[in-house]
Amino acid sequence: MKERILQTLKSLRAYAVEKGLQVSLLYHEEESALMRFANSAISLNTNEHIVRLEITAYRGSQRAMYELITEPGKLDDMKKGIDTVAELAALAQPLSYTPTIPHYKADFIDEQGYDEALAKLSNEEKLAFFNQASAGLETDDLKLSGIFSSGTNIWAMVSTNSEFCQFFKTSDAGVTVVLAHATLKWEVQAEQSAQKKAELNAEKLHRDLAFLVERYQKETPQQLPLGSYDIVLGHAAIAEIVRFLGFIGFSGGALKRGFACLNEEKIGQKVFSDKLTIVDDPSYLQTFPLKRDFIGMERKAFPVVEKGVFKAFTWVQDDADEFGMTPTGHTVPAYSVVVSGGDHEVTSLEELVGQPRDTDLLYIPFLHYMNLVNPSKGIITGSSRFGALLLKKDGSVVVPYNVRLTQSMLDIFGDKVAWVSQKTEAYNVSSSYGARNPNAVVVPLFMRVNDLEISHSNSSY
Amino acid sequence: MRKQIQQQIDRIKAAGATYVDARWYPVDEVNNLVMWNGNLKNADTTRESGMGVRVLYKGAWGFCASSDLSDIAVIFNQALDNARVAAERVTFPVHLAEKDIIQARFESPCQIDPFSISLSEKVAFMKKMDERLNQSGVEQRFATMTFMRKQIVFMDSEGSQIEKQITEVFAGMQVSGRDDQGMTQERSYRLNRQGDTRGWESINPQVFEENADRIVREMQQVVAAEDCPKEDRAVILLPGIMFLQTHETIGHALELDRILGYELAFAGGSFVTLADFGKLRYGSPKLTARADGTLINSPGSFGYDDDGVPAQNTVLIDKGILVGAITGRQMVEEANVKARRQIFNGSGGANRATSFYRVPIERMTNINIDPGEDGTLDDIVRNTEKGIILDGDRSWSIGSNREQFHFANEIGWLVEDGQVTKVVKNPTYKGSTVPFWNSLSAVGDRSTWSVQFVDNCGKGQPSQIMQLGHGVPVCRFDNVRIGE
Repeated sequence: MKERILQTLKSLRAYAVEKGLQVSLLYHEEESALMRFANSAISLNTNEHIVRLEITAYRGSQRAMYELITEPGKLDDMKKGIDTVAELAALAQPLSYTPTIPHYKADFIDEQGYDEALAKLSNEEKLAFFNQASAGLETDDLKLSGIFSSGTNIWAMVSTNSEFCQFFKTSDAGVTVVLAHATLKWEVQAEQSAQKKAELNAEKLHRDLAFLVERYQKETPQQLPLGSYDIVLGHAAIAEIVRFLGFIGFSGGALKRGFACLNEEKIGQKVFSDKLTIVDDPSYLQTFPLKRDFIGMERKAFPVVEKGVFKAFTWVQDDADEFGMTPTGHTVPAYSVVVSGGDHEVTSLEELVGQPRDTDLLYIPFLHYMNLVNPSKGIITGSSRFGALLLKKDGSVVVPYNVRLTQSMLDIFGDKVAWVSQKTEAYNVSSSYGARNPNAVVVPLFMRVNDLEISHSNSSY
Repeated sequence: MRKQIQQQIDRIKAAGATYVDARWYPVDEVNNLVMWNGNLKNADTTRESGMGVRVLYKGAWGFCASSDLSDIAVIFNQALDNARVAAERVTFPVHLAEKDIIQARFESPCQIDPFSISLSEKVAFMKKMDERLNQSGVEQRFATMTFMRKQIVFMDSEGSQIEKQITEVFAGMQVSGRDDQGMTQERSYRLNRQGDTRGWESINPQVFEENADRIVREMQQVVAAEDCPKEDRAVILLPGIMFLQTHETIGHALELDRILGYELAFAGGSFVTLADFGKLRYGSPKLTARADGTLINSPGSFGYDDDGVPAQNTVLIDKGILVGAITGRQMVEEANVKARRQIFNGSGGANRATSFYRVPIERMTNINIDPGEDGTLDDIVRNTEKGIILDGDRSWSIGSNREQFHFANEIGWLVEDGQVTKVVKNPTYKGSTVPFWNSLSAVGDRSTWSVQFVDNCGKGQPSQIMQLGHGVPVCRFDNVRIGE
């Protein structure tokens, strides 16, 4: 397959060169499979095989892009695409800057992230995995939902600037298991991200679910009073906030467009808790990394926040071109964000619940439907979901109805951070809007943040 | 190709499938242009082609799609295999509601094919708008245009064959500036329905020029304004936020797959239960909402859904009482059986997929609120003692069962004793869905009603983006918490 793809790209490049055109070619091929569960049944079982070719044509400061979804062997269609985009570029209004054309200095082939065993998981294996993860937990009232998403993702690229190609192949899987009460409407969830088959662990999913199910079945849900709480965020919630921080925190483009909560003056200053360190580190295979960006820059560990000190903005090539900045190797579909673990020893929810505490703790595992209320101030809002718990000072546990958190990320990750768990875990944040785009962030399993307001408290689910 | 598809449908049916359908997209094309501060950042065209096949086997769905049509038997075989495995875990066998066998063609109304307009003409228009937006206090100028056209051939094992040609035009602009604290404030305009067709003719320069001046003027007012107070007030929602309130707390809440628990893995459920139909007072008697797939010229009107069911105009909430839902063939059957009564008389024709490589699911058509009898916007303001007029969708976040929400807006105008007093910045409002709709105290007349387009509604796994519309009037809700 690799040879076929590279040969296709080289043929198309030769065609463009012969016509005197300047183009870059980005090939994307995905084999996606998704087994979806609802109401304790398989509600959908899908396979998609999609081949995309994205062609960008350049004429000095003019640029246009053409993407086609096509058959792998339809070289003539692809050549027509090159002709079309060259015509479009000629009509495009010139930019105020000259966009950089990717220049690959050597062939770069990276298949380290590919695990055939994961990519070729059979339908039967996935069903067996799900059955094991939920064994004995379903009842007439307690229904199973979830997904087993897995697949292979290939990126390959070449430009008329050189004969060299880049080729990346990864396998990925994301598993979500939900148990929801059909009438009471509470839901608990366990998730797993895997880059290779050996990372899948149905037993662990089962253990996590069983712990929460027992709590939720035993306790009567309560509406929490509004006010301040010491909150323990679970890794899904931390990952979601970190993802938003990527949009409006350390993106140079967002800064220049007025949609960032940090600015240039903050570089070198302490803006978060000294317990917080964030690095974009493509050495973590769990994040489905790209070790070269789409322009050809090598991607190395890039510190963003070090012990609370803001280190640098990230610059994708196009923003760097436009604003006269130096690109930082971030012209990629997703970063490999790693949030370092802290010094608090806790390795599971069960352990967290069992630890002695000096005050009540509100555990929020997941923030549903998060959005930006005010980007300049870093204010986000989202609701708890999937197994929140109020851990009382006296050791008892209360099951709360969902609550809403509307807070600035600068506060959430600021000096209110009381502790960060030592243990970290990859959390799958892959998007399947349009193309398959595997991505995970490595985050602490738990983070305690004191004195956060909840702005809404449900009286039911 | 149609002959090949028919042969494959027949073959898979003979292999034991109870139902098979195929959606072949000979062409699905999108042209997206983005101009930022005068720079044409995106001049992108996407052209897709491929086929998606759905197979129902022993009460379970299998789906397969591919852009490789060199041997379409492979796609049909994989869909059947997927269904066979799915059939090993069935709790409620899928049964599809009856429908008519249809041989038809639908073409969305379009006078001027936007794909016949040259890139240079489109860019010249955007450039003109960009220059119009380039006024005092404006730091960022953003304009976007998206043109879509798709040809969909639907064939099923029941004998239906439908061809659809859909053309869409979306456009908008936004400006932003900084207030005295250095915080960004923004104001935007999104193209809504202009006339009865939706081709290039929708792009009326005069409408854009007027709105360009308006959003700049309003952004300048917001930049200079005080913060929105934190208190309870009546909120008067203009169509630029009313559409989203309707979308999030009526539209999504009444998708029948959500109500039946089919979206719990990701998007969430609904506070609505089957027992609520015909009984739940969803809103005040001033509220009548409908799913109208027949509304002329809106992205939520598409002739026939991806079950092959004709578009319909279905009442969802009748004078405040919940009576209907957004439905497809599978869910109505399951709902009626589970409810042990006939809630739904067949599919509402709302099962749609965003592309050939996604499976159809219940999606909003045009979720509209009927105009009311409380007069014009001026009349509603005149009859409001302490309120705030809100517009613009800056942020939205909704509870997983659509039971509560938080919205942030671009602009607010305080109303005191029937008069607009001043503009405020950073306005927000929040509430719980049913109490909120029951606090609906005024619904504007036809003069306040407009059809707003949505081009980015997300749902499903694998994720799907869908286009639709909302015809909404100006509405007032009492005792709403704002400013938090």
